[in-house]
Amino acid sequence: MAQVAREMVAKAGVNVDQLVELLVKNAAAELTTFYYYTILRVNLIGLQGEGIKEIAETARIEDRNHFEALVPRIYELGGELPADMKTFHDMSACPPASLPKDPRDVESLLHVLVDAERCAVRGYSQICTMTAGKDHRTYDLALAILNEEIEHESWFSEFLGEGPSGHFLRRGETSPFVSKFMK
Amino acid sequence: MRRFTSEELERYNGKNGRPAYIVYRGLVYDVSESFLWQGGTHQVLHQAGRDLTEELETAPHGPDLLDRCPVIGIILEQEK
Ligand code: HEM
Repeated sequence: MAQVAREMVAKAGVNVDQLVELLVKNAAAELTTFYYYTILRVNLIGLQGEGIKEIAETARIEDRNHFEALVPRIYELGGELPADMKTFHDMSACPPASLPKDPRDVESLLHVLVDAERCAVRGYSQICTMTAGKDHRTYDLALAILNEEIEHESWFSEFLGEGPSGHFLRRGETSPFVSKFMK
Repeated sequence: MRRFTSEELERYNGKNGRPAYIVYRGLVYDVSESFLWQGGTHQVLHQAGRDLTEELETAPHGPDLLDRCPVIGIILEQEK
């Protein structure tokens, strides 16, 4: 644990235990999403599905990166991951992004993807609000993740016909915002 | 529709296998089936068995998400 780092956060008025629990729940959401997106990506096939496969893969890898980036902060603040993977799955801040009943229905697959991203956008907005001006390091991390989650949401939303995302697909490296936490 | 007093509502806090009910603007919602309300706790910060009308003001979502959960009753006004 980074004792003084934790002390500074508490002194600034953040309930550190609550914050750590939220970080663990969001880390669980990232890792479980990585898992469920693997199944969704595999099922994105055919004329419609193939076009979405690439961004689903980018979102999948970036969600795993978010998990990797969150873990050090959890331990710095005195938290830990549960020993049991099943416990970790069930405490996720977002519901499982399960494959829809009809896996050939690309639109319902897209809804699963966009819903998962929207849940994440809400979760990191909350962490940013809790930490802004108080816990600078967690804020910086949550904001970096939020930036990527918003882009994921807008990609999938565009495919659903909700309007232009305003973004281009990643060219080259994944996680343009979060990679600085993974060095 | 079932009527609840605040004291009755407190029992439905989702703990020890009890159902989880929450109140928003006088309506009682059953959130027991929600993945996000397991054990009567929502996102670490919110507890079932209570009126959460004010707490929702600071949430990163609006009341529309409550539509995902059934309304099962109303809360009785506190006697003055
Ligand atoms: C800091 C406070 C809160 C946070 C961070 C939070 C976060 C979230 C998130 C991330 C979701 C998933 C949204 C999605 O699928 O896109 C959600 C769903 C929900 N929230 Fe909250 N929320 C908060 C407060 C509240 C309050 C006060 C209430 C009740 C008045 C509430 C009721 C619900 C309900 C009913 C759902 C839907 C559950 C379901 O789909 O099974 N939330 N919340």
